[in-house]
Amino acid sequence: MRRALAALALTAAAVVLLARYETHPPAKPPPPDKRAPAPPKPGLRAGTGPLVTTPFSSIQVRAELTRGRLTGVRTIALTGADAHTNEINARAEPILREEALSAGSADIDVVSGATYTSESWIASLRAAIRAARRG
Amino acid sequence: MGMPVRVRVPGGAGAHALDELFAWLRFADATFSTYDPRSELCRLNRGELGLGDAHPLVRDVLARCEELRAATDGAFDVRAPLPGALDPTGLVKGWAVERAAGLLERAGARRFLLDAGGDVVLRGGPWRVGIRHPRLAGRLAAVLELSDAAVATSGAYERGAHIVDPRSGRPAAGALSVTIVGPDLGTADAYATAAFAMGGRGPGWTATLAYHEAMTILEGDRVLATPGFVDLCAGPTIAASVGAAA
Repeated sequence: MRRALAALALTAAAVVLLARYETHPPAKPPPPDKRAPAPPKPGLRAGTGPLVTTPFSSIQVRAELTRGRLTGVRTIALTGADAHTNEINARAEPILREEALSAGSADIDVVSGATYTSESWIASLRAAIRAARRG
Repeated sequence: MGMPVRVRVPGGAGAHALDELFAWLRFADATFSTYDPRSELCRLNRGELGLGDAHPLVRDVLARCEELRAATDGAFDVRAPLPGALDPTGLVKGWAVERAAGLLERAGARRFLLDAGGDVVLRGGPWRVGIRHPRLAGRLAAVLELSDAAVATSGAYERGAHIVDPRSGRPAAGALSVTIVGPDLGTADAYATAAFAMGGRGPGWTATLAYHEAMTILEGDRVLATPGFVDLCAGPTIAASVGAAA
Protein backbone atom coordinates (compact mmCIF):
# COMPACT_ATOMS: atom_id res chain seq x y z
CA MET A 1 0.00 0.00 0.00
CA ARG A 2 1.31 3.38 -0.89
CA ARG A 3 2.14 5.61 2.00
CA ALA A 4 2.16 8.83 0.11
CA LEU A 5 1.61 11.93 2.14
CA ALA A 6 0.34 15.25 1.00
CA ALA A 7 2.76 17.99 0.10
CA LEU A 8 5.53 19.00 2.46
CA ALA A 9 4.07 22.45 2.82
CA LEU A 10 1.04 20.78 4.25
CA THR A 11 2.96 19.39 7.15
CA ALA A 12 4.43 22.77 7.90
CA ALA A 13 0.97 24.25 7.74
CA ALA A 14 -0.28 21.71 10.22
CA VAL A 15 2.55 22.51 12.57
CA VAL A 16 1.73 26.19 12.36
CA LEU A 17 -1.88 25.35 13.09
CA LEU A 18 -1.06 23.61 16.31
CA ALA A 19 1.60 26.11 17.22
CA ARG A 20 -0.93 28.86 17.50
CA TYR A 21 -2.73 27.19 20.35
CA GLU A 22 -1.09 26.59 23.64
CA THR A 23 -3.43 23.95 24.91
CA HIS A 24 -1.21 22.62 27.63
CA PRO A 25 1.63 25.00 28.36
CA PRO A 26 4.39 23.40 30.38
CA ALA A 27 4.67 24.40 34.02
CA LYS A 28 8.22 25.70 33.81
CA PRO A 29 10.12 27.66 31.19
CA PRO A 30 12.36 25.70 28.82
CA PRO A 31 15.95 25.24 29.94
CA PRO A 32 18.78 26.72 27.89
CA ASP A 33 19.67 24.38 25.08
CA LYS A 34 23.34 23.47 25.15
CA ARG A 35 23.22 21.28 22.04
CA ALA A 36 21.56 23.80 19.74
CA PRO A 37 23.90 25.47 17.27
CA ALA A 38 23.77 29.23 16.73
CA PRO A 39 21.35 30.39 14.04
CA PRO A 40 23.24 29.87 10.77
CA LYS A 41 21.61 32.68 8.82
CA PRO A 42 20.01 36.06 9.42
CA GLY A 43 16.29 36.08 9.99
CA LEU A 44 16.33 32.61 11.46
CA ARG A 45 15.49 32.20 15.10
CA ALA A 46 15.49 28.93 16.92
CA GLY A 47 14.11 27.79 20.22
CA THR A 48 14.10 24.58 22.14
CA GLY A 49 11.26 23.15 24.17
CA PRO A 50 11.67 21.49 27.55
CA LEU A 51 12.43 17.82 27.85
CA VAL A 52 9.01 16.26 28.18
CA THR A 53 8.91 12.85 29.79
CA THR A 54 6.21 10.23 29.61
CA PRO A 55 6.07 6.80 31.20
CA PHE A 56 7.77 5.54 28.06
CA SER A 57 10.04 8.18 26.60
CA SER A 58 11.62 11.63 26.81
CA ILE A 59 11.32 14.10 23.99
CA GLN A 60 12.76 17.52 23.28
CA VAL A 61 11.85 19.51 20.19
CA ARG A 62 13.75 22.33 18.51
CA ALA A 63 11.82 24.79 16.34
CA GLU A 64 13.31 27.10 13.74
CA LEU A 65 11.48 30.22 12.66
CA THR A 66 12.43 32.26 9.64
CA ARG A 67 10.92 35.72 9.71
CA GLY A 68 8.27 34.48 12.12
CA ARG A 69 7.28 31.42 10.11
CA LEU A 70 7.98 27.91 11.29
CA THR A 71 10.51 26.54 8.82
CA GLY A 72 12.03 23.60 10.60
CA VAL A 73 11.37 21.21 13.45
CA ARG A 74 13.80 18.71 14.86
CA THR A 75 13.37 16.20 17.62
CA ILE A 76 16.67 16.48 19.46
CA ALA A 77 16.15 13.99 22.24
CA LEU A 78 14.03 10.94 22.37
CA THR A 79 14.75 8.12 24.74
CA GLY A 80 12.90 5.11 26.01
CA ALA A 81 10.59 2.75 24.21
CA ASP A 82 10.49 4.92 21.12
CA ALA A 83 14.21 5.64 20.97
CA HIS A 84 14.43 4.33 17.43
CA THR A 85 12.45 7.36 16.34
CA ASN A 86 15.37 9.56 17.15
CA GLU A 87 14.91 12.28 14.62
CA ILE A 88 11.84 13.69 13.00
CA ASN A 89 12.14 16.45 10.46
CA ALA A 90 8.80 18.10 9.94
CA ARG A 91 9.72 19.20 6.45
CA ALA A 92 10.26 15.68 5.23
CA GLU A 93 8.23 13.42 7.49
CA PRO A 94 4.69 13.18 8.73
CA ILE A 95 4.26 15.04 11.98
CA LEU A 96 3.18 12.06 13.94
CA ARG A 97 4.84 8.78 13.38
CA GLU A 98 2.76 5.87 14.34
CA GLU A 99 4.90 2.83 14.78
CA ALA A 100 2.91 -0.31 14.21
CA LEU A 101 4.82 -2.68 16.45
CA SER A 102 2.44 -5.61 16.71
CA ALA A 103 3.22 -8.64 14.64
CA GLY A 104 1.10 -8.81 11.53
CA SER A 105 0.21 -5.15 11.59
CA ALA A 106 3.11 -3.75 9.64
CA ASP A 107 0.83 -2.35 6.97
CA ILE A 108 -1.31 -0.27 9.28
CA ASP A 109 -2.40 2.96 7.60
CA VAL A 110 -3.28 4.89 10.73
CA VAL A 111 -3.72 4.43 14.48
CA SER A 112 -6.84 5.55 16.32
CA GLY A 113 -6.08 6.83 19.80
CA ALA A 114 -3.37 9.39 20.48
CA THR A 115 0.01 8.33 21.79
CA TYR A 116 2.17 9.52 24.61
CA THR A 117 4.85 10.23 22.05
CA SER A 118 2.75 12.55 19.96
CA GLU A 119 1.34 14.35 22.99
CA SER A 120 4.79 15.04 24.44
CA TRP A 121 6.17 15.99 21.06
CA ILE A 122 3.42 18.57 20.61
CA ALA A 123 3.95 19.95 24.13
CA SER A 124 7.67 20.35 23.56
CA LEU A 125 7.15 21.89 20.12
CA ARG A 126 4.79 24.53 21.49
CA ALA A 127 7.36 25.53 24.08
CA ALA A 128 10.13 25.52 21.45
CA ILE A 129 8.16 27.92 19.26
CA ARG A 130 7.54 30.22 22.21
CA ALA A 131 11.26 30.15 22.97
CA ALA A 132 12.13 30.92 19.33
CA ARG A 133 9.69 33.84 19.27
CA ARG A 134 11.29 35.28 22.38
CA GLY A 135 14.56 34.96 20.48
CA MET B 1 -8.34 22.01 18.41
CA GLY B 2 -4.71 22.33 19.34
CA MET B 3 -3.41 19.40 17.37
CA PRO B 4 -1.93 18.61 14.00
CA VAL B 5 -4.10 17.19 11.25
CA ARG B 6 -2.41 14.73 8.94
CA VAL B 7 -3.65 14.18 5.41
CA ARG B 8 -2.89 11.21 3.20
CA VAL B 9 -4.11 11.34 -0.38
CA PRO B 10 -2.52 8.38 -2.20
CA GLY B 11 -3.84 9.56 -5.55
CA GLY B 12 -2.70 13.11 -4.93
CA ALA B 13 -4.70 16.28 -4.57
CA GLY B 14 -4.17 19.71 -6.02
CA ALA B 15 -2.26 22.18 -3.87
CA HIS B 16 -5.31 24.41 -3.98
CA ALA B 17 -7.51 21.69 -2.46
CA LEU B 18 -5.06 21.24 0.40
CA ASP B 19 -4.73 24.99 0.95
CA GLU B 20 -8.48 25.18 1.13
CA LEU B 21 -8.61 22.29 3.57
CA PHE B 22 -6.13 23.88 5.98
CA ALA B 23 -7.70 27.31 5.60
CA TRP B 24 -10.98 25.74 6.70
CA LEU B 25 -9.37 24.03 9.70
CA ARG B 26 -7.72 27.32 10.72
CA PHE B 27 -11.05 29.08 10.44
CA ALA B 28 -12.74 26.44 12.59
CA ASP B 29 -9.91 26.62 15.11
CA ALA B 30 -10.02 30.42 15.27
CA THR B 31 -13.81 30.47 15.59
CA PHE B 32 -14.14 27.80 18.28
CA SER B 33 -10.92 28.35 20.21
CA THR B 34 -11.36 28.30 23.97
CA TYR B 35 -7.87 29.81 24.34
CA ASP B 36 -7.97 32.77 21.96
CA PRO B 37 -10.02 35.50 23.68
CA ARG B 38 -10.91 36.92 20.24
CA SER B 39 -12.69 33.74 19.09
CA GLU B 40 -16.44 33.83 18.58
CA LEU B 41 -16.79 31.15 21.21
CA CYS B 42 -14.90 33.17 23.83
CA ARG B 43 -16.88 36.29 22.98
CA LEU B 44 -20.08 34.26 23.27
CA ASN B 45 -19.02 32.92 26.66
CA ARG B 46 -18.18 36.42 27.89
CA GLY B 47 -21.61 37.64 26.80
CA GLU B 48 -20.12 40.04 24.22
CA LEU B 49 -21.69 38.17 21.33
CA GLY B 50 -25.31 37.06 21.18
CA LEU B 51 -26.09 33.62 19.79
CA GLY B 52 -28.24 35.26 17.13
CA ASP B 53 -25.26 37.30 15.95
CA ALA B 54 -22.84 34.38 15.97
CA HIS B 55 -21.64 32.70 12.76
CA PRO B 56 -24.32 30.28 11.49
CA LEU B 57 -21.83 27.43 11.89
CA VAL B 58 -21.44 28.30 15.58
CA ARG B 59 -25.19 27.99 15.98
CA ASP B 60 -25.14 24.69 14.04
CA VAL B 61 -22.42 23.24 16.25
CA LEU B 62 -24.06 24.30 19.50
CA ALA B 63 -27.41 22.90 18.30
CA ARG B 64 -25.71 19.61 17.41
CA CYS B 65 -24.07 19.55 20.86
CA GLU B 66 -27.49 19.87 22.42
CA GLU B 67 -28.79 16.94 20.32
CA LEU B 68 -25.80 14.87 21.41
CA ARG B 69 -26.37 15.75 25.06
CA ALA B 70 -29.88 14.35 24.75
CA ALA B 71 -28.73 11.30 22.76
CA THR B 72 -26.11 10.45 25.40
CA ASP B 73 -28.35 11.02 28.39
CA GLY B 74 -26.13 13.91 29.50
CA ALA B 75 -22.82 12.02 29.29
CA PHE B 76 -21.69 14.34 26.48
CA ASP B 77 -22.33 17.84 27.74
CA VAL B 78 -20.60 20.93 26.36
CA ARG B 79 -21.70 22.88 29.41
CA ALA B 80 -19.91 20.53 31.77
CA PRO B 81 -16.22 21.49 31.76
CA LEU B 82 -16.63 25.12 32.79
CA PRO B 83 -19.59 26.26 34.84
CA GLY B 84 -21.57 28.87 32.92
CA ALA B 85 -19.47 28.54 29.77
CA LEU B 86 -19.75 26.39 26.67
CA ASP B 87 -16.87 24.24 25.53
CA PRO B 88 -17.87 22.38 22.35
CA THR B 89 -14.27 21.25 21.74
CA GLY B 90 -15.40 17.65 22.12
CA LEU B 91 -17.46 17.96 18.95
CA VAL B 92 -15.61 20.65 17.02
CA LYS B 93 -12.50 18.69 16.13
CA GLY B 94 -14.37 15.77 14.57
CA TRP B 95 -16.97 18.04 13.02
CA ALA B 96 -14.33 20.25 11.40
CA VAL B 97 -12.31 17.32 10.10
CA GLU B 98 -15.42 15.64 8.69
CA ARG B 99 -16.23 18.86 6.81
CA ALA B 100 -12.62 19.05 5.65
CA ALA B 101 -13.14 15.59 4.13
CA GLY B 102 -16.13 16.98 2.27
CA LEU B 103 -13.94 19.73 0.81
CA LEU B 104 -11.45 17.17 -0.49
CA GLU B 105 -14.26 15.08 -1.98
CA ARG B 106 -15.66 18.11 -3.77
CA ALA B 107 -12.16 18.76 -5.12
CA GLY B 108 -12.28 15.32 -6.72
CA ALA B 109 -10.32 13.19 -4.22
CA ARG B 110 -11.85 9.74 -3.84
CA ARG B 111 -9.45 7.89 -1.59
CA PHE B 112 -7.90 9.68 1.35
CA LEU B 113 -7.36 9.66 5.09
CA LEU B 114 -7.50 12.50 7.60
CA ASP B 115 -5.96 11.89 11.00
CA ALA B 116 -6.60 14.40 13.76
CA GLY B 117 -4.61 13.15 16.72
CA GLY B 118 -5.86 9.60 16.45
CA ASP B 119 -9.41 10.41 15.36
CA VAL B 120 -9.72 9.44 11.75
CA VAL B 121 -11.87 10.05 8.66
CA LEU B 122 -11.49 7.50 5.85
CA ARG B 123 -12.72 7.84 2.29
CA GLY B 124 -12.49 4.99 -0.14
CA GLY B 125 -10.59 1.99 1.03
CA PRO B 126 -10.03 -0.45 2.38
CA TRP B 127 -7.78 1.12 5.00
CA ARG B 128 -6.19 -0.73 7.88
CA VAL B 129 -6.77 1.10 11.15
CA GLY B 130 -4.92 0.09 14.28
CA ILE B 131 -6.60 0.77 17.61
CA ARG B 132 -4.03 1.86 20.15
CA HIS B 133 -3.68 -0.37 23.16
CA PRO B 134 -4.75 1.70 26.17
CA ARG B 135 -1.95 0.47 28.43
CA LEU B 136 0.88 -0.81 26.29
CA ALA B 137 2.76 1.91 24.40
CA GLY B 138 3.30 1.08 20.76
CA ARG B 139 0.94 -1.90 20.84
CA LEU B 140 -2.37 -2.27 19.12
CA ALA B 141 -5.48 -3.69 20.70
CA ALA B 142 -7.15 -4.39 17.38
CA VAL B 143 -6.81 -3.82 13.66
CA LEU B 144 -9.84 -2.86 11.60
CA GLU B 145 -10.30 -2.98 7.87
CA LEU B 146 -12.55 -0.09 6.90
CA SER B 147 -13.78 1.95 3.96
CA ASP B 148 -15.72 5.22 4.03
CA ALA B 149 -15.93 5.51 7.80
CA ALA B 150 -14.89 7.57 10.79
CA VAL B 151 -13.06 6.15 13.81
CA ALA B 152 -12.75 7.89 17.17
CA THR B 153 -11.07 6.60 20.30
CA SER B 154 -11.36 8.15 23.74
CA GLY B 155 -9.15 7.07 26.56
CA ALA B 156 -7.51 8.26 29.73
CA TYR B 157 -4.08 7.87 28.13
CA GLU B 158 -4.51 10.78 25.74
CA ARG B 159 -3.95 13.71 28.08
CA GLY B 160 -4.20 12.26 31.52
CA ALA B 161 -7.67 11.73 32.94
CA HIS B 162 -9.20 14.33 30.67
CA ILE B 163 -12.74 13.03 30.49
CA VAL B 164 -14.96 13.93 33.39
CA ASP B 165 -18.41 12.43 33.80
CA PRO B 166 -20.57 15.57 33.65
CA ARG B 167 -23.15 13.97 35.88
CA SER B 168 -20.77 13.23 38.75
CA GLY B 169 -18.07 15.84 38.07
CA ARG B 170 -15.44 13.14 38.62
CA PRO B 171 -13.00 11.56 36.18
CA ALA B 172 -14.61 8.66 34.38
CA ALA B 173 -13.69 5.30 35.88
CA GLY B 174 -14.03 1.77 34.68
CA ALA B 175 -13.10 2.10 31.01
CA LEU B 176 -9.56 2.37 29.64
CA SER B 177 -10.62 3.28 26.13
CA VAL B 178 -13.66 3.38 23.89
CA THR B 179 -13.50 3.19 20.11
CA ILE B 180 -16.48 4.10 17.94
CA VAL B 181 -16.78 3.45 14.21
CA GLY B 182 -19.50 5.36 12.38
CA PRO B 183 -20.39 7.51 9.40
CA ASP B 184 -19.46 10.91 10.92
CA LEU B 185 -16.35 11.77 12.96
CA GLY B 186 -17.95 14.48 15.12
CA THR B 187 -20.69 12.10 16.22
CA ALA B 188 -18.32 9.16 16.65
CA ASP B 189 -16.01 11.29 18.80
CA ALA B 190 -18.88 12.56 20.95
CA TYR B 191 -20.20 9.01 21.39
CA ALA B 192 -16.73 7.76 22.35
CA THR B 193 -16.38 10.57 24.90
CA ALA B 194 -19.83 9.84 26.29
CA ALA B 195 -19.33 6.06 26.48
CA PHE B 196 -15.99 6.59 28.20
CA ALA B 197 -17.62 8.90 30.75
CA MET B 198 -20.26 6.24 31.40
CA GLY B 199 -17.57 3.80 32.55
CA GLY B 200 -18.93 0.30 33.10
CA ARG B 201 -22.31 1.27 31.70
CA GLY B 202 -20.71 2.45 28.46
CA PRO B 203 -20.55 -0.83 26.51
CA GLY B 204 -24.25 -1.53 27.05
CA TRP B 205 -25.08 1.95 25.84
CA THR B 206 -22.91 1.65 22.74
CA ALA B 207 -24.76 -1.53 21.79
CA THR B 208 -27.95 0.54 21.43
CA LEU B 209 -26.46 2.92 18.83
CA ALA B 210 -27.74 2.52 15.28
CA TYR B 211 -25.16 2.77 12.47
CA HIS B 212 -22.26 2.66 14.93
CA GLU B 213 -19.97 -0.12 16.09
CA ALA B 214 -18.00 0.06 19.32
CA MET B 215 -15.24 -1.54 21.34
CA THR B 216 -14.68 -0.74 25.01
CA ILE B 217 -11.58 -1.89 26.84
CA LEU B 218 -12.35 -1.98 30.53
CA GLU B 219 -10.01 -2.05 33.49
CA GLY B 220 -8.52 -5.53 33.72
CA ASP B 221 -8.23 -5.59 29.92
CA ARG B 222 -11.75 -6.91 29.56
CA VAL B 223 -12.92 -6.13 26.04
CA LEU B 224 -16.54 -5.63 25.12
CA ALA B 225 -17.27 -5.04 21.45
CA THR B 226 -20.41 -4.97 19.38
CA PRO B 227 -20.71 -7.95 17.01
CA GLY B 228 -20.43 -5.61 14.05
CA PHE B 229 -17.14 -4.28 15.40
CA VAL B 230 -15.70 -7.77 15.60
CA ASP B 231 -16.75 -8.31 11.97
CA LEU B 232 -14.64 -5.27 11.01
CA CYS B 233 -11.54 -6.70 12.67
CA ALA B 234 -8.74 -7.97 10.49
CA GLY B 235 -6.53 -10.82 11.63
CA PRO B 236 -6.53 -12.05 15.22
CA THR B 237 -9.53 -11.39 17.38
CA ILE B 238 -9.58 -8.40 19.68
CA ALA B 239 -9.60 -10.50 22.83
CA ALA B 240 -6.55 -12.46 21.74
CA SER B 241 -4.61 -9.34 20.89
CA VAL B 242 -5.08 -7.79 24.31
CA GLY B 243 -4.62 -11.08 26.11
CA ALA B 244 -7.96 -11.20 27.84
CA ALA B 245 -11.30 -12.89 27.40
CA ALA B 246 -14.12 -10.71 26.15
